[in-house]
Amino acid sequence: MTQEAAAASQPFVMDTAFWTATAIFLLAYAAIISEKIHKTIVAIFGAGLILVFKILQQHEAFHIEEFGIDWNVIFLLISMMVIINLMRPTGVFEYIAIKSAKWGKGDPFRIMAIFAVVTAVLSALLDNVTTVLLITPVTLLIADALEVDPIPYLISCALASNIGGTATLIGDPPNIMIASKAQLDFMAFIYHLAPIVVVIMVFYLFAIKFIWGKKLKTREELKQRIMAMDENEAIKDPVMLKKSLAVLAIVLTGFVFHGVLHFQPATVALFGAGLLLLLSKTHEPHHILAEVEWPTIFFFMGLFIIVGGVVKVGLIKWMSMQILELTQGNMFATSMVVMWFSAFASAIVDNIPYVATMNPLIVDMAKQLWPNLSGTQLLHHPDLMPLWWSLALGACLGGNGSAIGASANVIVVGMSEKAGKKISFMKFMAYGMPIMIMTVIVSTIYVWLRYYVMKI
Amino acid sequence: MKAKDLMIPLQEYLRPENTLKEAVNLLRTAKRGEEKIGVKGLPVLNENGKLVGMLSMRDILKVVFPFYLSMMDLGDFTWDGMVESIAKKSSNRKVGEVMSKVVISVDEGASLMECVDHMIKHNIKRLPVVDKSGKMAGMLYERDVFFEITKAMLAENNGGAK
Repeated sequence: MTQEAAAASQPFVMDTAFWTATAIFLLAYAAIISEKIHKTIVAIFGAGLILVFKILQQHEAFHIEEFGIDWNVIFLLISMMVIINLMRPTGVFEYIAIKSAKWGKGDPFRIMAIFAVVTAVLSALLDNVTTVLLITPVTLLIADALEVDPIPYLISCALASNIGGTATLIGDPPNIMIASKAQLDFMAFIYHLAPIVVVIMVFYLFAIKFIWGKKLKTREELKQRIMAMDENEAIKDPVMLKKSLAVLAIVLTGFVFHGVLHFQPATVALFGAGLLLLLSKTHEPHHILAEVEWPTIFFFMGLFIIVGGVVKVGLIKWMSMQILELTQGNMFATSMVVMWFSAFASAIVDNIPYVATMNPLIVDMAKQLWPNLSGTQLLHHPDLMPLWWSLALGACLGGNGSAIGASANVIVVGMSEKAGKKISFMKFMAYGMPIMIMTVIVSTIYVWLRYYVMKI
Repeated sequence: MKAKDLMIPLQEYLRPENTLKEAVNLLRTAKRGEEKIGVKGLPVLNENGKLVGMLSMRDILKVVFPFYLSMMDLGDFTWDGMVESIAKKSSNRKVGEVMSKVVISVDEGASLMECVDHMIKHNIKRLPVVDKSGKMAGMLYERDVFFEITKAMLAENNGGAK
């Protein structure tokens, strides 16, 4: 028996360290949900406590992958943020958004549908928060031009970004975390998640047609305001734009082949960020780096350490044993529990701490099921794979369930309020929750058909 | 020279509950010194005469400027009549909503250098002066400080430099 397998079969002890770590973990979760203290502060302070109480040694927190900070996630996020920050001033995102509105010929619903698709595609390639920050200002401008209510557009934008982000490894933070923990590559996400996300988007477009299609009306002369816009005026820096697109192409190609070439995704992204910084010829990297969302990055780092603490003391193993007991080792039932529980949990809690907790839980579950396996043999066990996809689908799509379910929703609600149109918690939920349930039902059928009936 | 020697005593002011319509009308016709030529900013006082904010021309410009335009480069994609239409819709908003709330002020006895210090560090052209009870007493204008400086520079007995 390997050392790892021996550890897996060993019952853990509920000693002082166990209860201390559990208390820190639960209090941190409660503080994050209550929103009384900023989540980043909670994560950093909680991580500090884990180290001060010696639940983790500093070395474990900083250098041991199983317990500590996942630097692959951190550098992938930072590098993608740097690339976007360098691309933004070129005007390419304004160009795409204005061009999309013109494709819609000024028709309010056509524009909504096209924006939903554009948002979903951008969210698959960038992170959701960035996408929403790039699309909503234009959305508000278009709604003003057409003199229509911006709220449906804003809600649709958030929902579409959460759906689109589900499709790829880099689309949504839960996927980045899952990919790193489960050692799944970019193409695995494309192969297993992108097809169902396309199907979900079709359902989504029918849904918004049904919900808002007849309500959105404008006058002919207002459509001219859109048609009179010249998207070419958006491009402010064509030279930098060419460089950015070239680097983006290299990075995306790198993602497609990173599995084959044995590069981690963070390596690809870091190379891209470095190359674009070099090509930008900036002498002031300070403001590009300052625009990285450091609070988000530190939120991740703190959470990794807190979760590492409860992994080490065995809380996560205890939780995984409870789930296996509940489903009696039936993998289809386990998949379904993971997907639906993830969806509702992600609607209530930020899906980042949720997935940070679920990742080691699934690994622990696998260790109990196959105590003789380790490494990718364990992580990529054919019976385990559907669980990773169920977790990704549940956690990403679950974000649509409420106004606080995903960062994109929080941003959209905030922007709407700034524009003088408040979206109440219940109003968001009235659209978000049915859409979430619909998309998770579609995902359920997909997982069942693909992995348990057709077994491909 | 102290703040109170150079300030223009309080003449016209706004209340937070005034509408923007009333406010811009006053901005256009308010007295500066003896002339009714309009001013670029007015103090906002509460019912006890305490200073609670300032409403300037810049604040009115911000009213018609949608926040989303500042988030991205979208100025090229706006249309004729946009400013006017938002202005019409905003005319009944209250001064209290749009005024600048963080207000720097000085005591009547503040030295001229203290006033210059505030004007430079906070980039303001109008500095409210308050009396001992905290009530608004008057307004010190950048222009008047400038005239005071010119007087000193142009004075005949200017320590040797000609």
